[in-house]
Amino acid sequence: MPKVEIKHLTKIFGKRPKAAMKMVKQNKSKNEIVEKTGSTVGVYDINMSIEEGEIFVIMGLSGSGKSTLIRLLNRLIEPTAGQLFIDGQEITKLNKKQMIEIRRKKMSMVFQNFALFPHRTLLENTEYGLEIQGVGKEERRKRAEQALENAKLLSFKDQYPHQLSGGMQQRVGLARALTNDPDILLMDEAFSALDPLVRGEMQDELLDLQANVEKTIIFITHDLNEALRIGDHIAIMKDGRLQQIGTGEEILTNPANDYVKTFVGDVDRSKVLTADSIMIPALTSNIYVDGPTVALRKMTAEEVSGLVAVNRHRQFEGYLSSEEAVRARREKVPLADVLTEMPKIKPDTLIMDIMPIIYDAQTPVAVVDDDNRLKGVVIRGAVLKALADTEGEDDNE
Amino acid sequence: MTMNNLVSIPKIPLENWVSSAVSWLTTNLSGFFDAIQSGGQYIMDALTNGLTAVPMPLMIIGITVIAIVTTPKKIGFPLFTLLGLLLIANQGLWSDLMNTVTLVIMASIVSLIIGIPLGILTAKSQKTAVVVQPILDFMQTMPGFVYLIPAVAFFGIGVVPGVFASIIFALPPMVRMTSLGIRQVPVDLVEAADSFGSTTWQKLFKLELPSAKNTILAGANQTIMLALSMVVTASMIGAPGLGRGVLSAVQHADVGSGFVNGLGLVILAIVIDRFTQKFNTQPGQKAVTKPWRRWTVLVALLVMIGGGVVNTLTSDKTTGQKVTIGYVEWDSEVASSNVLAESLRQHGYDVTLTPLDNAVLWQSLSNNQIDISVSAWLPDTHKALYDKYKNDVTLLGPNLKGVKTGLVVPDYMDVNSISDLTTQANKTITGIEPGAGEMATAAKALKSYSNLSGWNLSSSSSGAMVSALDKAYKNKQDVVVTGWSPHWMFSKYHLKFLSDPKNVFGSGETINTIVNKKFKTSNPKAYKVADKFNWTKDDMESVMLDIQNGQTPKQAAAKWIKSHQKLVDSWYK
Repeated sequence: MPKVEIKHLTKIFGKRPKAAMKMVKQNKSKNEIVEKTGSTVGVYDINMSIEEGEIFVIMGLSGSGKSTLIRLLNRLIEPTAGQLFIDGQEITKLNKKQMIEIRRKKMSMVFQNFALFPHRTLLENTEYGLEIQGVGKEERRKRAEQALENAKLLSFKDQYPHQLSGGMQQRVGLARALTNDPDILLMDEAFSALDPLVRGEMQDELLDLQANVEKTIIFITHDLNEALRIGDHIAIMKDGRLQQIGTGEEILTNPANDYVKTFVGDVDRSKVLTADSIMIPALTSNIYVDGPTVALRKMTAEEVSGLVAVNRHRQFEGYLSSEEAVRARREKVPLADVLTEMPKIKPDTLIMDIMPIIYDAQTPVAVVDDDNRLKGVVIRGAVLKALADTEGEDDNE
Repeated sequence: MTMNNLVSIPKIPLENWVSSAVSWLTTNLSGFFDAIQSGGQYIMDALTNGLTAVPMPLMIIGITVIAIVTTPKKIGFPLFTLLGLLLIANQGLWSDLMNTVTLVIMASIVSLIIGIPLGILTAKSQKTAVVVQPILDFMQTMPGFVYLIPAVAFFGIGVVPGVFASIIFALPPMVRMTSLGIRQVPVDLVEAADSFGSTTWQKLFKLELPSAKNTILAGANQTIMLALSMVVTASMIGAPGLGRGVLSAVQHADVGSGFVNGLGLVILAIVIDRFTQKFNTQPGQKAVTKPWRRWTVLVALLVMIGGGVVNTLTSDKTTGQKVTIGYVEWDSEVASSNVLAESLRQHGYDVTLTPLDNAVLWQSLSNNQIDISVSAWLPDTHKALYDKYKNDVTLLGPNLKGVKTGLVVPDYMDVNSISDLTTQANKTITGIEPGAGEMATAAKALKSYSNLSGWNLSSSSSGAMVSALDKAYKNKQDVVVTGWSPHWMFSKYHLKFLSDPKNVFGSGETINTIVNKKFKTSNPKAYKVADKFNWTKDDMESVMLDIQNGQTPKQAAAKWIKSHQKLVDSWYK
């Protein structure tokens, strides 16, 4: 039996849901329905089942109805029609009191903007769920402290949310949700408000957590990379309708329709690929200004083992590896003397032609224009992916 | 050609509807209103007595100490509190201040008790909001004076109707800000509280009220300030306190006393405002940070209360019979009421002097809230009021004979009769309070004399009338005022009454004593005194002049009694 099962779940906002329903069935667009009836279709006819212990990601652009869908699951929004089962129990039939019980015991939610109560300390925030259940002070303190301990935030327990960084606040949000020990975690764009670095860390933490506690996690995001990174199954939504459900692999290899195809950023095969379409920004250092220490620091910050050396006019000079930079520092020689070879190509070089160059190179390949100005670098993975895609294309034909 | 002729709809009897609705309420709910009146009066008296029982120096020191510990590292506010309160005490306004504080505390507490739940309700329910919002708009824009009328009808005079009017006036911001604060709680916080399975009450007490706390406090602050501003207005219907001083100063055009009383209100307002703002905290700061500060506040409060208790136990209470004398703030009535009150006090009575608007005074006599008034000008000046209430009051007869009312001009003007008036003084008669009997008579004169068609009767106050006269007199300009004697202005300026051929102003009047119907049985001794009280025009004018020359009414009355002991003793035989 699946953990969560959704059957024909529909939510129409506004005053004339019946009329709007009719138009939805006739496949009318969202805008048309709003103009005619004044009602907005939140989600329409969603069917999916979610297994115990999986991370189920719901994706879509803003306005696709994904946030509405997650709120239908714990009935913060009342569905217009359809059924929702958790552990075989029909949630959509429960009265207010039973629903409160389900929210307390079975599911917890994590919010995009953390939604921590500003007038409560971290500890008071974390224990909130237990507090309203009437759990004794000793007991709930203990469990909340444990949850904060797991989030490595115990020393901050008497601070207030506004005194913390976003990443820390979201850890508290997660700790607060976990203190209740729910079966299901609902996460509404939980990492979208964090900067990319912290975001990656949080994703890893979530995966670690999942390995330890085996919760069912329903995760909403608009970021494909995030979905691919953590999702066991991914559902893609558009205008309140479900487009496709599958594993990351299935969605990438067999997009169900054109929308999904463009959504997952499938490359347009009609174009012949050149270097400038797959190059990425280069990490550079003006070696006539920077010393070896600065160069090493840049590499550490970006977590790479080398950078592209340029001059004052951003003209390409060569490649500076971390080993050579260390040697320059030790032997007190200028950076210009320790540069190594790095292949150069023009932006309009075809990918096919880059292949052999990159295959032999120890470093990425620099892309420079006619004035020898650096435009970017091409790395091996990008070339391989582009090639793999074009081959896939050939197979399909 | 007036609008009425153009519009064929007859005038809607709105006034009658409202009046009959209010009188229906007063008759049918009189038990309820009386219960509130007496209960409220009891609480207020207890509170005022409690406040005044605390020895003044002790309270000033106590409040300053609290100001010091709640304002760490800053000297400005505690110093202001200390100096401000000392100044009020020095000006002899301490008991007035305590009365005002009682009124403000009461009005604010009731506004909080009604306002916060109502605000929560309007925030939670759109239907309630639709009903409540227009009512709040109405309450806030209606002039505060209007609330005094039903307040008197329901609760009579005194501090309870004052509180009632203040509450109506001060309630709206409390409701609005509470509602706003709760509506402003970020939607994701509300969702979070819901997603953990909070009940409606848990959400309210754990999230919404704490989040809205500062907005609600801002509302409370506004409410307190509005209640404070109503204090002056409420004093027109007998609410004691600093407002009375302001009102009396307005009626006597006494700049100095008005400023001093007003300053007392300003000091009080600033102190209350700063103290209420101390509760406004951000998460992570506490209002009073260190425990010792909290203890100090507590100790200071306890010391003040202790001082009050000790003071109450050791002071000898006046056990005399209570007598209430109502009067209007005319110079003549201030003189006579104070003389009677002072003589009664010397005979061991506990006398309360309540200044009121004339119409309210008669009404209060008719419903037994006031025992005695010595200021009924009959048969002409107060004819309308006498006709209205003659069955509900007892007329004891004249206490002063030879009164004259009429139009008065400086003697340098060459008119001698009302019929001589043509275009002098911009065709304006400078009058007094619109509720005064003489104003009705003057209005009648405008109608009776054909040469006065096109003349205006402008109402102000007795004090303002004299100020206008004074100004015109100094510049030798024309001026026509509604005057009466006895009045000190006749000894200060050379004035003359205009003859009144049509006899609109009557041919000489008397000032009479009236008492309420119950007074004879409830207090026969004082009734007798009131019955015998009488004196002459010269007596009255000498007291009036003393007051005009800077003595307090009490001093002037005591001085007069001392030099006329025989006459005064005759009242008590």
